[in-house]
Amino acid sequence: MATQVKNEVLYRVYIVAGALLVVAAMIVAKAFMLSVWQAEGWRELLANRITSKVVTGNRGSIWSSDGNLLATSMPYYDLYFDATVASDLDFEKYIDSLAYCLATFVDTSYTPGGYKEFLIEQRKSGKRYIPIARRYNYRQMMAVRRFPLFRLGRFKSGLIIEIREDRERPFGLLAQRTIGYVRKDAKPVGLEGAFNSYLKGDSLKQPMINMPNGYQQPVRELSEIQPASGADLVTTLDLDIQDIAEQALYRALVEHEAEYGTAIVMEVKTGAIRAMANLGRTKSGKIWEIYNYAVGAATEPGSTFKLATMMALLEKGGLSLEDSVDIEQGKTEFVFKSQTGREERVPMKDASYHPYDSIPVEMAFVMSSNVGMAKLVDEYFVQKNRLKDYLAALKAFHLDQPTGIEIPGEPRPLIKDLQDADWSGTTPLWMATGYEVRITPLQLLTFYNAVANDGEMMKPYLVERIQRYGTPEKVFHPKILDRRIASQKTIAQVQYLLEQVVENKLGTAYKGRVNAYHFAGKTGTAQLEYRTGRGRKKSVGGHQASFVGYFPAENPKYSCIVVIGKPKKGGYYGGTVALPVFRAIADGIFKLRPEVHFPLVQRQRRPIASRWLPRKQAGAKSDMLHFLPQWGLPYRNETGDKPIAILVAAPADTLILKARHLPQRAVPNVVGMGLRDALYELEKRGLKVKLQAYRPGRVVRQSIRPGTPLQGQTIVLTLR
Amino acid sequence: MSISHKIYTGLRGDKTIWSIVVLLALVSTFVVYSAGGSFFAITQGISPEGLLMKHVGTLAIGFVVMYIAYLLPYQRYKTLAPWLLLLSVVLLVYTLANGVEINGARRWIRLPLGVTLQTSDLAKVALVLFVADRMTRFKDYIQDFQKAFLPLIVPILLVCVLVMPSDLSTAVLLFVSMLFLLWIGRVNWKYLVSLVMLGLVMFSFVISLGLLFPSVIRVDTWAERIKDFVESESIPLMDSDAPLEQIDYARMAIAHGGFWGQGPGKSTMRNFLPASYSDFVYAILLEEYGFVGGLFVLGLYVLLLFRVIKLVTLSSKSFGAMAAMGLTIVLVLQAFSNMAVSVHLIPVTGLTLPVISKGGTSILFTCFSLGIILSVSRYVERQHAAKRAES
Repeated sequence: MATQVKNEVLYRVYIVAGALLVVAAMIVAKAFMLSVWQAEGWRELLANRITSKVVTGNRGSIWSSDGNLLATSMPYYDLYFDATVASDLDFEKYIDSLAYCLATFVDTSYTPGGYKEFLIEQRKSGKRYIPIARRYNYRQMMAVRRFPLFRLGRFKSGLIIEIREDRERPFGLLAQRTIGYVRKDAKPVGLEGAFNSYLKGDSLKQPMINMPNGYQQPVRELSEIQPASGADLVTTLDLDIQDIAEQALYRALVEHEAEYGTAIVMEVKTGAIRAMANLGRTKSGKIWEIYNYAVGAATEPGSTFKLATMMALLEKGGLSLEDSVDIEQGKTEFVFKSQTGREERVPMKDASYHPYDSIPVEMAFVMSSNVGMAKLVDEYFVQKNRLKDYLAALKAFHLDQPTGIEIPGEPRPLIKDLQDADWSGTTPLWMATGYEVRITPLQLLTFYNAVANDGEMMKPYLVERIQRYGTPEKVFHPKILDRRIASQKTIAQVQYLLEQVVENKLGTAYKGRVNAYHFAGKTGTAQLEYRTGRGRKKSVGGHQASFVGYFPAENPKYSCIVVIGKPKKGGYYGGTVALPVFRAIADGIFKLRPEVHFPLVQRQRRPIASRWLPRKQAGAKSDMLHFLPQWGLPYRNETGDKPIAILVAAPADTLILKARHLPQRAVPNVVGMGLRDALYELEKRGLKVKLQAYRPGRVVRQSIRPGTPLQGQTIVLTLR
Repeated sequence: MSISHKIYTGLRGDKTIWSIVVLLALVSTFVVYSAGGSFFAITQGISPEGLLMKHVGTLAIGFVVMYIAYLLPYQRYKTLAPWLLLLSVVLLVYTLANGVEINGARRWIRLPLGVTLQTSDLAKVALVLFVADRMTRFKDYIQDFQKAFLPLIVPILLVCVLVMPSDLSTAVLLFVSMLFLLWIGRVNWKYLVSLVMLGLVMFSFVISLGLLFPSVIRVDTWAERIKDFVESESIPLMDSDAPLEQIDYARMAIAHGGFWGQGPGKSTMRNFLPASYSDFVYAILLEEYGFVGGLFVLGLYVLLLFRVIKLVTLSSKSFGAMAAMGLTIVLVLQAFSNMAVSVHLIPVTGLTLPVISKGGTSILFTCFSLGIILSVSRYVERQHAAKRAES
């Protein structure tokens, strides 16, 4: 019995299993049919209907350090119309109102009737890609999308919206080359190029279905897909300083008909680059940011390199500033024995005639004597067979190293070595005066900045941080390249020398002196493409005028280099052409940045009488909080979170900052405000303002009492 | 080696079934990783790694559940069965009234910790255990209508009717599986035939009810799917305006895969099939691993079926054998249904491929079922060994 039951169960189990196996076999058969046997048709369908399109997220923006937009991506829309898509019913129904809208809001060169005829004609001839509007912004595009017919959507109306992206630079030329660009088929340039991987948005392969009518339909609505945007770049550039530098440079290029120029401003303590202006001339002679000379152009620097020579002499040569040197009135000849044993005479000249023979070393530097510097190198390094020390010193100053600035295209400086094939006996003498070496403006500035920063060399940098939606993703901190490039004593000595270049009557920058602040630096006038031909005839392919320095000399905040190439008018000396640009930049920064000011009156401060205190002045609290500490006045802030404040004098020589409440629906109290603030507050409330008489000062009386309900009255203000 | 070796030697039960489970889990991991690269995942901001970690986590929990189920002596499920069934019925009623709607179907209830539970998954296991238990108890008078058939069929119908409104496919699957199980358990075939008749009557009743209350019962969806199925037999013409259907994409995927497949993670059609990792997972599998891969996965389920049949041959009358057979029938039938949808043998059902399709609670209950099967296999093995020792 039991066995019988068991067998019966088993036989049923096998039948069930058999049924399931039949199903499995059917699945296998069908799968085989689809994947192997009859796959061709489906594969063809796939090849025909399935495609993809790359969608890219918005490119990140580039900001200046002070919060201005330097480069950003603006989407814009091109609108087209496929006249064949709409059904006859829809087309008939909406054509009148659509033509009216298009002729009224989009293309006013048409009448509504004309537009209607145009559309009907296009539909008849089966046009599928009629341009409706180009370069529309988002709001304009949305408005057109709400037109009759178009609001039925793409697949019922035939409105085609294509989105494109433009890179906009709101400040145009400013720092254009430093910001750079990324273009198809071109080398990436500047920050755009260097940080492309951060800036660029994600790209996403959007699956698309080819529709029989030639369109591609996204698997999902395009608006649903938003590949991640790129990150924003916050640069170290300060728009104000950049503007000052660029303008000053521009003026100099025009004035001197120069070919190119660059100006860099660096923050001494951090190495942050606050401005980097590069101007050149286009083929048509227009001045434009065409090449980043600051980073990319390694040239013979000329006299500005004497600082390195001087530092090497002081640091490694055993030179003392009290020593003297015979400059032979600015003209000499060095005599060499060449390898063939013949005597060779190498002449050397100062830029101008100096009526001196033996002068202190200090003066040779201040006057920028080529003869003096070459003789010193000859005496202390060449004659003593210690050229290695000279070169080692230059390397200790990192003059053979690129700065590693973020943007591409920085060459390595050229400092020749004793083993080099093109090293000759005269090389060190030329190097002493800044020839037979090649260095970029940025590299030289980094060196000067280290001197300004008491010997600590900072790495120049252009990017403060990378952020996404305002949240920092990566922050770049100032980086020290070398704690001390030379001894404290040497640094102090060359700082003194650089100050003397400006302060000494014989200094090459003396005419740039200014009383309001002190600066220090070195001029440079390099001959470009010079050649000494037969019969000692020299040909010069132009000059490169430069000035490198820092200010305020006592407590350096900014260092700056100005290089101007091939000036053709109004002189070519560094002191004449480049120094005024440096001064214009320094002056501009001085005006902008109270923190570089020093007290003009060094005496003990006189106690302030209470009648001199600012009293009953009303204005924006943020402004007051900015200035009160700078005046050094004790004050108490009682404003809470109110934005408008009034200053009240209190006993015990304290000022109190009290909140002033300005009601929105009543005449406000504007007494104590400047005219501009008062006008804004009153006219905003619909009041007409009259002045009793215009004179500078603050509002002392108003004709309508504060708190009176608004009725568009005319209010008379008295200023004093 | 030593740890895996220890586990291997420490494990009892059918080693082949263990291997099948591990292989299925591996396949599912590959498949879910591919899902992470799909356009739908990307646009929803899902990272492939995150998805994979989640899935591996679910599988890990599933394996723990399976191991516990395996450790429990299978007789325990006998006493557990009625209570599980009661719980299922309560939850099913609750789901009908208060469930969470996902993808237009109300099949889920929300549990604490953000877990959603598809109640029919629990009901499947509970019903099989309950029926298997009853059948072994009634085995002496199993052909009787009043004493055996009625007490068996009432809970089956109850569960099916409760599942049907929101999930016709699962209801049908469950009903058909139960018919197979009853028939294997020697229930009188005449009653079963009349039961099918009754089922059809009730089905039409539910449909007419659905026409009255379309929001509760998804008659529209059913009708549409069948219509699509019938209409989509041929290849859509290249220049036709007709929009492509999911089933067209699925067949493109299979054709794209060919014999050897496009390779892991290289599916194109996953970007066009929103349900590529549940309903149409087999199509994507065929696209990436070709006909060969598809055959292999199908083979795993067939092999599972045969291993369980072997258990039955060793111990035909026991509750364990019946339970294992029932659970296997449900599982394999569901797998075949899913595959049949992808290869366009039947209309879209919404049934997932057990273990392989992603989906939290579905995997957990499948693992639970497999654990019970393994528990049975362990005891059958031991019993068999003991018998052999005797003789």
